[in-house]
Amino acid sequence: MKAQLEISSLSKAFGGNAVLDRVDLEVAACAVSAVIGPNGAGKTTLFNAISGFVPPDRGQITLEGVELVGMPPHRIAELGVGRTFQNLRLFPRLTVLENVLVALDRTERRQSRRRRQVQARALLERAGVSASPDTFASDLSFAEQKFVSLARALACGHRILLLDEPGSGLDPPSLERMYALVRSLAAEGRTILLIEHNLDVVRELAERVVFLDRGRALARGTPAQVFASPEAANSYFGGEPEP
Amino acid sequence: MTAYLESLAVLCAIAAILASSLDLVLGFAGIFSVAHAVFFGIGAYAASLVALHLTASLAFALAVAMAAGAGAGLLLAVPALRVREEYFVVASLGFQVVATTVFEQWQAVTGGIGGLTGIPPPTVAGLKVESYAGMAALSVLLAGAVLAGLRALVRSRLGRALQALNQDEVAAQAAGHNPVTLRTLAVVVSCSLASVGGVIYAFFSSFVNPESFTLDESVRVMVMVIMGGAGTTAGPLLGALFVTLFPALLSFLTIPDQFLGPIQRLAYGLIVVVLMVYEPDGMVGLARRLRRLRALAPAGKPGESTA
Repeated sequence: MKAQLEISSLSKAFGGNAVLDRVDLEVAACAVSAVIGPNGAGKTTLFNAISGFVPPDRGQITLEGVELVGMPPHRIAELGVGRTFQNLRLFPRLTVLENVLVALDRTERRQSRRRRQVQARALLERAGVSASPDTFASDLSFAEQKFVSLARALACGHRILLLDEPGSGLDPPSLERMYALVRSLAAEGRTILLIEHNLDVVRELAERVVFLDRGRALARGTPAQVFASPEAANSYFGGEPEP
Repeated sequence: MTAYLESLAVLCAIAAILASSLDLVLGFAGIFSVAHAVFFGIGAYAASLVALHLTASLAFALAVAMAAGAGAGLLLAVPALRVREEYFVVASLGFQVVATTVFEQWQAVTGGIGGLTGIPPPTVAGLKVESYAGMAALSVLLAGAVLAGLRALVRSRLGRALQALNQDEVAAQAAGHNPVTLRTLAVVVSCSLASVGGVIYAFFSSFVNPESFTLDESVRVMVMVIMGGAGTTAGPLLGALFVTLFPALLSFLTIPDQFLGPIQRLAYGLIVVVLMVYEPDGMVGLARRLRRLRALAPAGKPGESTA
């Protein structure tokens, strides 16, 4: 399988504390991959490095052969890297429609205003947002906000989508909606990388999994292989508590 | 009396231009600048110099002033927006102090403390606008154009991007927006539009000197924006009208002249503090609150008929 995103020996330390330690990762095109690991494993730092918010100390990140390290976040977004955030980061005083338009204004800037509006509505529909597009984002329930943030990420993530804990805070029906959305996106050829605490979500969605602990990629393979690995088992299923 | 009202209309128009243009950076882009009077001054000096040495054409003066305002805005924005946001306030304060000194000391161009005098009335399409009434009409038209332009801008994708950036910079970057470019653009547009106020001021008073463009004036414009409601289109206009007309209202009361200044300053200070604490959205926020109360009132008093 072709790798869309390649990360090689990526390292980052904060104040002498290694958060990412020579991480290698190949994200297959047109598939769902997942990074799992306990709190502080470096999952979010990995996402922040890919999307340009945290400059790594060493290592490469290439998207279809293009080096991303050193590029500012907006350039990386323009290359087609869309991401969501664990705490959503919607624009609270913009409407639902405007939240998506903010991204389309850049990625589809050559399109007419009217065309972008149509696209934004289509993306919201695609993400299953039922709230009126004219509602302020802050007036929505958490689950609805989450789907708006997915629609916004879709607006720029035509090469790869980075989903930060897509399952957190969702009730079972909303989780099912999210699964269906992610699966359909992968089916139509989107590359998706997600980080998750919830192993059920990973089991449902991911084809490839990397287990990250204290900045190091300790196991990789299919979900079943990784869950069965001693490293992950130790961390997730009742190993010794961490000091 | 008519001349008095007409001159009040000119002053209101200038204040509306200054407050609305400042609101683009302060309210929409979230950049605190205390140097807005500098760009008001640059517009006034540019128009005066053009009118004294080249032509009294309003269109030409406007073009030169707006270009000068934009250039000076770039001078402030390019270095200042690269540092952390909070430092922009300090940088703009420094810019204000430097500019005031330049206005006072650059004798050959600004006329120093004495300023520039004898600025001829403007010409529009070859016609000389000499009367107060003509000046008032012209000012209101220009203010209308600036406000309409700003309204369109705020609703455009640039306005949307600025608001997004102000509400969540990280998310705006992840959506493909470059914060430095956007903020620089906002500051340049804002400064360029502020200079339009300066053009009107120079032609209206036929005399400019550094006193009108000090830190006090910058603070006064900021008070207008905060009082009216930052980040709204109606707010700066309301604030501008209030701050301009309030002294005129006071002058109808029999207050000895020496108390007028202190009373005004006390009142502004008090109003701003009270609004900041209880209604950060200013007069626009108060109006919204009243509307909501009125909408609730019939339901809230079951005994009363609404018919």
